[in-house]
Amino acid sequence: MNNDIPVHELGPQGEVMAHAIDACVHCGFCLPACPTYALLGDEMDSPRGRIVLMKEVLEGGLDLLDAAPHLDRCLGCQACVTACPSGVPYGELITSFRGWSEPQRHRSPLDKAKRYAILKALPAPKLFSVAARIGQYAKPLAPALPAALRGPLDLLPEHVPAMQPSPKVTPAQGQRRARVAFLTGCAQQALAPNFNAATLRVLARNGIEVVIPDGQGCCGAAALHTGARDEALRLVRANLDAFNPDDYDAILSNAAGCGAGLKEYPVILHGLHDEAKAQAFSAKVQDISEYLAALAREEGLEPFMPASKPLKVAYHDACHLAHAQKVRSAPRELLRMIPGVSIVEIPEGDLCCGSAGTYNLEQPDLAGQLGARKAGHILSTAPDLIASGNIGCHTQIQSHVRRQGSPVPVMHTVEVLDLAYRGEL
Amino acid sequence: MTVEKLALTTTSPAHKPLSKGGADNALAAELTHLLGPKKVLSSLAERLSYRFDAIQFGVTPLCVVLPESTEDVIATVKAARRTGVSIVGRGAASGLSGGAAPMQPSVVISFTRMTRLEILPERREAIAQPGVITLAVTDAAKPHGLIYPPDPASFRTSTIGGNLGENAGGPLCFKYGVTGDYVTALDFVDAEGELHTLRRDAYDLAGLLIGSEGTLGLITSATLRLTPPPKFTRTLMAHFAEVGQAAEAVSAAIAAGAVPGKLEFMDQACTNAVEDYLNLGLPRDAGAVLLVDTDGDDLDTVEEERALVEAACLEAGGVVRRAADEAEAAALWQARRSVSPALGRIRPQRMNEDIVVPRSVLPEVVRQIRALGDASGFKLVQFGHIGDGNLHPNILFDPRTESTEAVHHLAREIALVALRHGGVLSGEHGIGTMKRDFMNDAVDAETMQGLRNVKRALDPSGALNPGKILPEETHA
Repeated sequence: MNNDIPVHELGPQGEVMAHAIDACVHCGFCLPACPTYALLGDEMDSPRGRIVLMKEVLEGGLDLLDAAPHLDRCLGCQACVTACPSGVPYGELITSFRGWSEPQRHRSPLDKAKRYAILKALPAPKLFSVAARIGQYAKPLAPALPAALRGPLDLLPEHVPAMQPSPKVTPAQGQRRARVAFLTGCAQQALAPNFNAATLRVLARNGIEVVIPDGQGCCGAAALHTGARDEALRLVRANLDAFNPDDYDAILSNAAGCGAGLKEYPVILHGLHDEAKAQAFSAKVQDISEYLAALAREEGLEPFMPASKPLKVAYHDACHLAHAQKVRSAPRELLRMIPGVSIVEIPEGDLCCGSAGTYNLEQPDLAGQLGARKAGHILSTAPDLIASGNIGCHTQIQSHVRRQGSPVPVMHTVEVLDLAYRGEL
Repeated sequence: MTVEKLALTTTSPAHKPLSKGGADNALAAELTHLLGPKKVLSSLAERLSYRFDAIQFGVTPLCVVLPESTEDVIATVKAARRTGVSIVGRGAASGLSGGAAPMQPSVVISFTRMTRLEILPERREAIAQPGVITLAVTDAAKPHGLIYPPDPASFRTSTIGGNLGENAGGPLCFKYGVTGDYVTALDFVDAEGELHTLRRDAYDLAGLLIGSEGTLGLITSATLRLTPPPKFTRTLMAHFAEVGQAAEAVSAAIAAGAVPGKLEFMDQACTNAVEDYLNLGLPRDAGAVLLVDTDGDDLDTVEEERALVEAACLEAGGVVRRAADEAEAAALWQARRSVSPALGRIRPQRMNEDIVVPRSVLPEVVRQIRALGDASGFKLVQFGHIGDGNLHPNILFDPRTESTEAVHHLAREIALVALRHGGVLSGEHGIGTMKRDFMNDAVDAETMQGLRNVKRALDPSGALNPGKILPEETHA
């Protein structure tokens, strides 16, 4: 899209934004992919509409305040990126725009406090765990609480498990085939500690030594996607210091959102002194399913024990795996390697479940509608088990599937693999 | 500055109104009063979002109405007429001629919420409101063993209303006909806000409404014919060293008696743009690629036709590959549908043409256009529904560094190539604003007067989608 964005005034992030806007031809191929367009049906809440709005704000023809409600409703799911033939890097655009615009926003004190709390608690697993436990006891009170508090409580599992600290090094079983570094993630350590435990077991069983480097922290995605760019830069640089890519065959994440965040580091640092360092780092980043499927193709995996009965697995594509990282076939290939497992495709599978990082907390109404829609589609396939590769989707889907009265188990892909190795599937 | 020149550029920041927010004009206030706030958009952010189609130019509307019923449309038209504001109908705005983009401050009626669709299997018909997504008709008809054949590349996005407005085509239309061929009845609201119901008998006023780009009336319902899909389909891809050879193969195959279901063409730049998107392993070095489906209910005939096409391709110097399975065929057709938007990878703006020429002159026409492009210094690409002679030469440019006047000049040269060879300006995208200036080249003065008389008869005050199809009248 032709534009007069003052790139020179905006610096390197301005280049990122102008490049993305240049590529949009306003064809509308993104419309059927967009969750908010599906719900609201108006241009301003579609990807190409938001691109027009961002262009206008950057050019100075539209007040940020007028565009903000529509831009805030974007989940950042990047389904539009998959649908876009002209290659608009929409994810980079909205992220850069939020970083640029957030300092100019005037938010209410309550709003500020909520965002501050989210951005402080999410990256601190211990703090998050304490908060989640308190929340667990507050859950029965939810109907009486204000909406701002009800959203997060709704998402908490019935039972918040105890934290399981991960060992700094997990040795390979048998002959060592590779040495990888692992990012442990934030919220999932508190909400689903078995994700990481299962990941370490599956990797070790396949001859992979796993190192959890000291000094690592939150990937920064939550901060970045909510526009807290300075905070994000601090977190990004801490991780670049903690993970030396030369020391590892790969740097793994088992949370789609975090993995996508790690792969975004070169964009975040575009034009800054450590851009090259970010490139070397993110070249090594892989999702756990991507890494295991490549290993399976190249060298083979340890064989799985068959499932105890034929098992129909509904695999849910996390947006930050399928759209942001283009990882679609790997998790399916892995699950199919378990004898007795078959995969069912979920209708409207490309549409976001509404979790989308902090979206649940910021836009609870739209998030709730999307969650209910997703749960309905999943349950329409009558699955025996639901698998996905992202903690956000996991809690959202679990919460909405339960609300629709179904007891069907919801697991991380790697938990399913782990159970198959243990003969407990 | 003429309207056409404006058409090639987006409005510059200096001309932009400042943010005001809220209903800031009498019409928006009245419509909000009549229809309720949920159906009327009037803040600047909202209005800015409804000024473009896929050609990205247009004037910011005064307000936008999202009707939910024919009554809402009638009320909007009457209110707009009372205040003297012009009216622009709009579907998904995926069009490529500027048809849905306002050229003066107007009320935009966006039909995206009028999505009622009824399938009548025993009559092999569908009744669709204008906001129904094109592909949704086939999706709903399939369980009854029926399809709706018109398949514009944007069919996941485009609406029936927009397709009717531009008389949209698509790959299947070579064999099966364009949108207008599937319409058995229409409802439309005229420029005075009166509702009419039309069937396809004399006078075929419905035929006049189809392809009129909302300049004669606003279609509020259409009855569409459905057909059973062909039982067998075979897909092949052929690639050639240069575009003329591909065109020779097409002329020869059809002359030999083949009637493929789809017969599509893309040149090297197009192939590379979609390959960058989809990574299918398309032949990046080839000067041109043909994609062909032969289809029908008799497998022998389908395979015979494929053999005829293959022989013609080989004879013209092509390399032929059959699609191994349905998945490969589906991927190839996704690639074809992605060509137009994928061109955004090359330059931020384009001038898009939609010429149709007789098949016998295809080789000469594509070569002449290629030569014009090479001589111009612009990035010119060609693709299209070559089976029915419908080509989409696109001039890709960056208005910040390249002259829009020169683009306009080259576009006219291309249009003249088509006209000299007995062709027409538009096969399926409509004239809109993009090709409006070339209408005087395409239509003689008497015929033009006839067209103007039609417009005056149905829309005497020129309130419906002004600035489209018919060129400015010169009062010498």
